[in-house]
Amino acid sequence: MAGKLGTILAVGSCKAARKVLHLLKRGGTTTPGKAAMFFDRNILAKTAEGVETIVVVGTNGKTTTAHMLERAMTAAGMDPLANRSGANLLPGITAEFTAEASISGHARRKYAVIECDEAALKLVVPLVNPKVIAVTNLFRDQLDRYGEVMNTLEQIRIGVRMVPEAILCLNADDSLVASLALDVPNPVVYFGLDLPVGEQKDAELSDARYCIRCGTEYTYSYHTYAHLGGFRCPNCGYRRHQTDVAVTAIRSMGMDGSDIELRFGTASEGKKQKQTLPEAKPHPDTEGSIKNTERKPEITGGSVIEHVHVGLPAVYNIYNAACAAAAFTAAGYDRQKILPVLAEVHSSFGRMETFDLDGVRVQMILVKNPAGCSQALDYLAAMEEPYQAVFCLNDRTADGHDISWIWDADFEKVCRDPHMLHAYVLGDRAEDMQLRLKYADMEENGVEKVNAEEELIEKMRKSEVPVFILPNYTAMLSLRAVLGRITGKDAFWKG
Amino acid sequence: MRKLKICHLYPEVLNLYGDRGNIRCLQKRLEWRGISCEVKKVGLGDKDPLTDYDLFFIGGGQDFEQEVLLEDLRSGKGASIKAAADDGKTFLCICGGYQMMGQYYETHEGVKCEFIGAADFYTQGGDTRMIGNYAFQLGKESGGSTVVGFENHSGRTYLGSGVQPLGTVMKGYGNNGEDQTEGVRFHNVFGTYSHGPVLPKNPEFSDWLLETALVRRYGRADLEPLEDAFERAAHDTMLERVCKGTAGREE
Repeated sequence: MAGKLGTILAVGSCKAARKVLHLLKRGGTTTPGKAAMFFDRNILAKTAEGVETIVVVGTNGKTTTAHMLERAMTAAGMDPLANRSGANLLPGITAEFTAEASISGHARRKYAVIECDEAALKLVVPLVNPKVIAVTNLFRDQLDRYGEVMNTLEQIRIGVRMVPEAILCLNADDSLVASLALDVPNPVVYFGLDLPVGEQKDAELSDARYCIRCGTEYTYSYHTYAHLGGFRCPNCGYRRHQTDVAVTAIRSMGMDGSDIELRFGTASEGKKQKQTLPEAKPHPDTEGSIKNTERKPEITGGSVIEHVHVGLPAVYNIYNAACAAAAFTAAGYDRQKILPVLAEVHSSFGRMETFDLDGVRVQMILVKNPAGCSQALDYLAAMEEPYQAVFCLNDRTADGHDISWIWDADFEKVCRDPHMLHAYVLGDRAEDMQLRLKYADMEENGVEKVNAEEELIEKMRKSEVPVFILPNYTAMLSLRAVLGRITGKDAFWKG
Repeated sequence: MRKLKICHLYPEVLNLYGDRGNIRCLQKRLEWRGISCEVKKVGLGDKDPLTDYDLFFIGGGQDFEQEVLLEDLRSGKGASIKAAADDGKTFLCICGGYQMMGQYYETHEGVKCEFIGAADFYTQGGDTRMIGNYAFQLGKESGGSTVVGFENHSGRTYLGSGVQPLGTVMKGYGNNGEDQTEGVRFHNVFGTYSHGPVLPKNPEFSDWLLETALVRRYGRADLEPLEDAFERAAHDTMLERVCKGTAGREE
């Protein structure tokens, strides 16, 4: 059904369905979208018309990056629309735009930032016609849904080809993501880390070891994590592109975040591809947490260096911050509006989110693929105090039915860590998780299977040390709801 | 002290679905019984002879990386692998690694890739993927236990005469979704579509492989039983869910 009546029914049903779900205190966001699409399949084209939209896509970091952008746009007085609950398929995105539209289907907001599922991109972008598409990274993820990482990349590529005018904001360090710029007319900006952070420990587990253009093994001048870094194909010359927004120094990294230097504008004219790499080690004279507005930028040549505090820990959040800053400035917005926000964003919905459970510090870190999980495990293993760990593994559609990726994540690191005092497992695949820990050298009596979330809450209450929970997606949603209710945190993040 | 030498073939290209968990499982199950174990990775371009190993593992990979692999096989390694199989060495081959032991792979578009040809079977590319948790019962010559795993392949494999299937499908697709066969068994080669990884939660199958390799090396196996409580819990829970059709909820 199209035409005016169709629009009115679509918008009306979407708003009504949302209201009902809200009254039932259900966070579900796909039903209103499906209701709207029942009356007008392409209602999103109408309700997103004229809205200046940034779309964030990529396997890891979508939600956090989109959240940073949303906060920055809010700070700039742009009152953006956002799919903050993480419903990132076509019905969920349709619901966000349609519920906010006037009853005649006209957008009432001027700006939007949405995170989008990789396979859904090709369905969403022709309708929302984004100003910027930011691609965070590509790792093996939910293989049984998309086949393999190359297939996921192709899904994104199909989407990109549909909107030749959208500005692409690409991770220069990711050879897969950067390849999206090959053979398309879109304007491109690149972000990345201009310096090494760690060593790539196991080249075998790289998701992109061979050149996407010619199949030759890449050489790396430096690694940041997983397959990200200064890649170069010795055969065909495909290599990391020079960056427009780059992390040029990491001054300190800790539990409360990282202090970095962020360069806006290309390094220096004339010597385009020549880079001098700063030291990998964090700077010794850490100055603690500083407000990003207090620092004066350094201007060198055509570029500016800003001193930035990223309020979320770990290297992948440095990437998220760089991606958000690059997308924000690529859209033409004032970078001074996003810099303070990067320090203030502490957590987004289950990602490094902290709860106070009757005095026990509980931190939840969403993990859904080997690269992200190994990063989270690195973070735990770097703790200098005792802790307990909870691994919660489901295998529902949104998680991917195939959980074999847990064998590619480095659980050994945490199981052998003397600070890790006790582990709990739960979820649909608790038994598989338990077995994974056993083969990661965990003593069998050091791991305990719990059957329900309530039971876990009781165990955690009694803990004398901080507890880290590593759930995958649907496990996070349901644990987050229980913890939020008990500790009085809102069902959806407000930032 | 007894010792097994394990060769992990092409770990840099065939490593898609947590299959390195299989190596870890074999290592641990030997270690827990006081049998020493050495794992060597043999990758693209490595020319060392393969005659010294007791057990070979080949995993599954992305289609994208197949071309570099085929070239390496043609340069002589394919023949060495076939010779080791003919010599009665134990092989565990998963998905792409399994297909590779056959005669050829013909893509959906009709392009034919010649494989090692260690045994009489071939694979035909399909237009849909066969994906999901599945279960099969091993043949008597492979121990007869039930195996639960995860399959994800578009290739359909058809066995010729002279080779046995590894097992019979209880639930899922198996080799081709048509004839109820799963995997292949010839000499001491065990080929399967089962990711998961297959070994940790199928301890009987793991031990069968180790016994086969120990018998070939020492004339007898004498594997002490292990407790396997976690292994059985993972196996039994999934087997029940797969057979009832409740594995992987739509949510």
